[in-house]
Order: sequence, then C-alpha cells, then structure tokens
Amino acid sequence: MSVLTRAAQPGVSASDLPRRSRLIGRRVVLSAIVPILILLVWWLGSLSPTKGLFIASPLATVVRTFQDFLGGNASHLFLGTVAWQDLLPSLWRATVGFWLALVVGVVVGTALGVKPVVAALFQPLVHLGRSLPTPALLGVFFLLFGTGDWPKVLLIAFGVIWPILFNTIDGVQGIGTGRAHVAEVFKLRRRDVLFRILLPGAAPKIFAGARVALSLSLIMMIISELQKSRNGLGYLLVATQRNFDYPGFWSVLLVLALIGIILNIIIVRIERRVLAWHQGATSQHD
Amino acid sequence: MTDNQIPAELVMTGIAKVYGTNRAIDDISATVPAGQVTVIVGPSGAGKTTLLRIICGLDAPTSGQVHFDGAPIDGVPDGLAMVFQDYSRSLFPWLRVEANVGFPLRRIDKKLRRSRVMEALEAVGLAGKEHLYPWEMSGGMQQRVAIARALACHPRLLVMDEPYASVDAQTRAELEDLLLTIQATMKITVLVVTHDIDESVYLADNIIVLSKAPSRVSEEIPVRLARPRDQITTKEDAEFIRLRAHVLRLLRNIPEAPTGAGSLAAKVTA
Ligand SMILES: Nc1ncnc2c1ncn2[C@@H]1O[C@H](COP(=O)(O)OP(=O)(O)O)[C@@H](O)[C@H]1O
Ligand SMILES: [Mg+2]
Repeated sequence: MSVLTRAAQPGVSASDLPRRSRLIGRRVVLSAIVPILILLVWWLGSLSPTKGLFIASPLATVVRTFQDFLGGNASHLFLGTVAWQDLLPSLWRATVGFWLALVVGVVVGTALGVKPVVAALFQPLVHLGRSLPTPALLGVFFLLFGTGDWPKVLLIAFGVIWPILFNTIDGVQGIGTGRAHVAEVFKLRRRDVLFRILLPGAAPKIFAGARVALSLSLIMMIISELQKSRNGLGYLLVATQRNFDYPGFWSVLLVLALIGIILNIIIVRIERRVLAWHQGATSQHD
Repeated sequence: MTDNQIPAELVMTGIAKVYGTNRAIDDISATVPAGQVTVIVGPSGAGKTTLLRIICGLDAPTSGQVHFDGAPIDGVPDGLAMVFQDYSRSLFPWLRVEANVGFPLRRIDKKLRRSRVMEALEAVGLAGKEHLYPWEMSGGMQQRVAIARALACHPRLLVMDEPYASVDAQTRAELEDLLLTIQATMKITVLVVTHDIDESVYLADNIIVLSKAPSRVSEEIPVRLARPRDQITTKEDAEFIRLRAHVLRLLRNIPEAPTGAGSLAAKVTA
C-alpha cells in the first residue's frame, strides 16, 4: 500500500478526487485481507490428507449452495428446494421468536422501568430467568408445547429476550428526573410521555439490546432444531453430517454466515436512520 | 400574544420544607406581584430549587401554602410554564425545534399549534430554525428554544430556575434582555431564581433575598430602576450599584454601611 501511495504522490493534482478514490480503494483492499486469508486456510484445510475428508473445498461448497438454495425456477421465486424446505422455516421461526421477544421485552421492560416497586418485585424472577441456560430448557419446552413450531419459537423468544428486557429497563430509567419534571410541568399526556419521551429516549439502549438479541436468535434457532426436528438449518446440519454429506454441511454453514452478515447490514441501516439524533447529540457532547 | 392573558399573582405563606433531618427551608412568606419580574436570589443550597418545585406543585411543602391567583395550589397550576436550568436535559434531542416547542400543545389543533410555535420562536429570535435539532444549536440558542416552549403555552406565570447559569457571559446578557423584552410586550408575571447578584438587580421589579439554609426571607427589595433597561447605562446607574452592594451585604451577612456613606462606599468598591 505505502509503495503505491508514495509512487502516486508526485502526480497529486489540485483536485482531491483521485485521493478520495484511492482512500476508498485502500479501505476495500484492507477489509478484503481477512476474508481472503480465511478462504485460503479453508482451501488448504480441504486439501489436507487427514482432515480434508471432512472439509469440503470452498468451490464445492459454493457450487452446492447455489444448487440447494438457488436452483429453483420462477414459480419458486428462484429459490432451491432446500431453501424452501429448511431455510425459510428456520428464518420464519427465528423471526417470530425475535419479534415476540422484542414486543414482550419492550412492554415488560417499560413497565418495570417506570415502576421501581414492580421492578423490585419481579427482580428475582427476572434474574432467575436470565441465568437459566436456555439450551438446557429445550426438553422442557418440547414437553410443554408439543413438537411443532411453537416450542422452537418460544425457546428462541425466551433465549433472546433478556438483553432486550434489561436494556429497556435501563433505557427507561435513564430518562432522568429532568425530563420527568418537564412532562409534569407541561402536563403532557400519558401516551405522549410513553411514545414520545420514554420509548424514543430508551431507543438507543433498546436497539443495542435488539442487536445482541438478533444474533442470539440465530444461535437459538439452530439449537432449537438440533432435536426432534424434521426440517430447518439446524436439522440439516445434523442430517448432512450423519450422511457424510460434507459439501451439504458446509453449504449450511456458508448460508448461516451470509444471513448473519445481511442481518447486520440491515440493522446498521435502520439504526442510522432511526437513531440519527442520538449520534448527533452524543457527538456534540464529546 | 392573546391579550386576554391576565398575569397571575403568587403568594407564599409560611413555607417550610424538611428532608429527613435536613431543614432546607425554614419559613418563607413572600408575594410575587402580577405582571412584574420577581427575582429570588440566595446562596447555593439555600433551597431555591426546592422552593420553585413547591411553587410549581411538583413537591408538597412540609408546612405552609402557596396561592396562585388566590387559590391554593394542588398540582401544577394552569397557566404556569417553566424554563429549567439545564436545557440539555429539558429539551428532547430526538425532536426538532418545532416539535420540542409544540410538545406541550399536543392537545390543540395542528394548525393553531403551528402558528403558536412560530409566534413563540419569533419572540425568542429563532424564526426559521424550526427544522433544526437542539444538538445542532449553541447553548444559548437551546435555552431560547426552552423559553419558546414555555411561551408557546401562553403562560400567566413564567418560572425560571437559574436559566442562564450554563451559558457564557455575552449570551447571558442577550438572554436577560430578551426576557425583559418579552415580559414588557406580553405583560406576564415572571419569577426568576438566580445566584447572580447583578442579574437579580438588572432583571427585577422585586428581589427576594434568601438566607443560607434553613432559609428565610432576608429582605424583599423593590427595584425602581427605569425600564427599558440597558446592559451599560442601567449597570452604571448609582441606584444599580447601591442595590447590588446591598444584596451582596445581605448574602454575606455584612452589616449595612452608615447611612449616607452607603452609596458612596458601594460605588468605590464597585
Ligand atoms: N430531593 C431531595 N432530597 C433530600 N434533600 C434535598 C432534596 N432536594 C434538595 N435537598 C436539599 O435541600 C437543600 C436545598 O437544595 P436546593 O433547593 O437544590 O438549593 P439551591 O437550588 O438553592 O441551590 C440542600 O441541602 C439539598 O441537599
Ligand atoms: Mg438550584
């Protein structure tokens, strides 16, 4: 890099456009280094005489991913059979679980945040719930809710609700007495206080919690499908391994990684939009 | 603003406030006359904020009563608006200026609300800034937004707790003059708390001087300086100088200089 920039320096023109594009190019190159290294290690691993049997090559994995997940025709929205049978049911359960956790977490968190007495009352219960290792509850959820989608959805919701709940309580309590006095002196309506002061004020914290919950929900999604499941990406991970179908196994891992990346991009976009004020306000106080 | 907005009168009788074993306010009786500027000045920790919270109905006194236009207060009186000391904590950073100022008016019709917001922003010299966020503005401008929010309610009593304590001296002078202009045009009752002696004399028709906690009224001082006031000429007026020395003595508990020499001595020290 430095050789490149130095070589270009004598020809620097008055316009800084080439400099800008060089900076951007430099960032692209930098952010590509680690993925390329990972690919290289992966590829070398697949060549290894001992481990290579269990590691499908990157190329085989990509080919298999396209076949399984994108092989369909227009009537199937160009999605492959595996996408329909396993990916979409998984995503559906994770989505329902996540939104359930978000709604319940924000509602309960707000209630606990505004009423310290209620918060104190429920604190032991909340801490008990949080400290239970959710994966260990899988069997209990199957017993309680049968074997369909519900135990899985509820397990995901139960597993991811805690960061949302705690951050909402924290955010609502952090509104401060100053703003509470404003609400009182200006006789603001209760619903305005709730929807225009409490929730927006707590939004940065709630967002941070939701972000953690979103990545947790992918983990919980896989865990919930490892047992007693007839479809889903978690089921597929178990089934492909059992059948020594390593390209299939690796293609599931690749899809999971892609989902994680896409979700992160989406949430960063939303956050930038919804919380623009927060970035502005905090940067002013620095 | 609307001309049927009759300024309110406030009467405090025997107010005391005890926090546990800490007697913050011992006994305060005073009147805030309608249509005038009254300034409460007192040392830090004298219970000024506590007193304002009682006046605003946010807090109940341990004993004593506050009457707002003859009626004992119970909760925040109608027609009272407040400007808080810390604008960064009283404005909402997720709302633009227009929404911040119009927030207390959410019960009224949208068009009327907008016109009242614009009128209030005009009055504080922020016309055209309604689409900014508070954090895009300087401290002085943010405090103007807070004043506009109070004015948009068309208050009959405007209460301000150390409103200019966190802005620089230049902005402070501008905001003092802004307050006096608004008060003169709208004829509302204004009650300001401050620990700044010059500010108290400059703004006031009446000064209520508080002692250290547990606080009592040291003295109620009428200020007869001519209006409109001016940062330069008013502050070099002999009466201004005499008054600020007098308030300072009260706050420091120094006995008054012998009669006749009083104003001269004050002039020399100032
Ligand atoms: N909510 C409270 N609980 C207990 N003590 C308080 C409370 N508010 C104020 N005080 C006490 O009352 C006294 C006066 O405080 P305050 O009204 O803030 O003074 P000032 O505004 O004049 O500086 C202080 O000693 C303070 O510690
Ligand atoms: Mg105070």
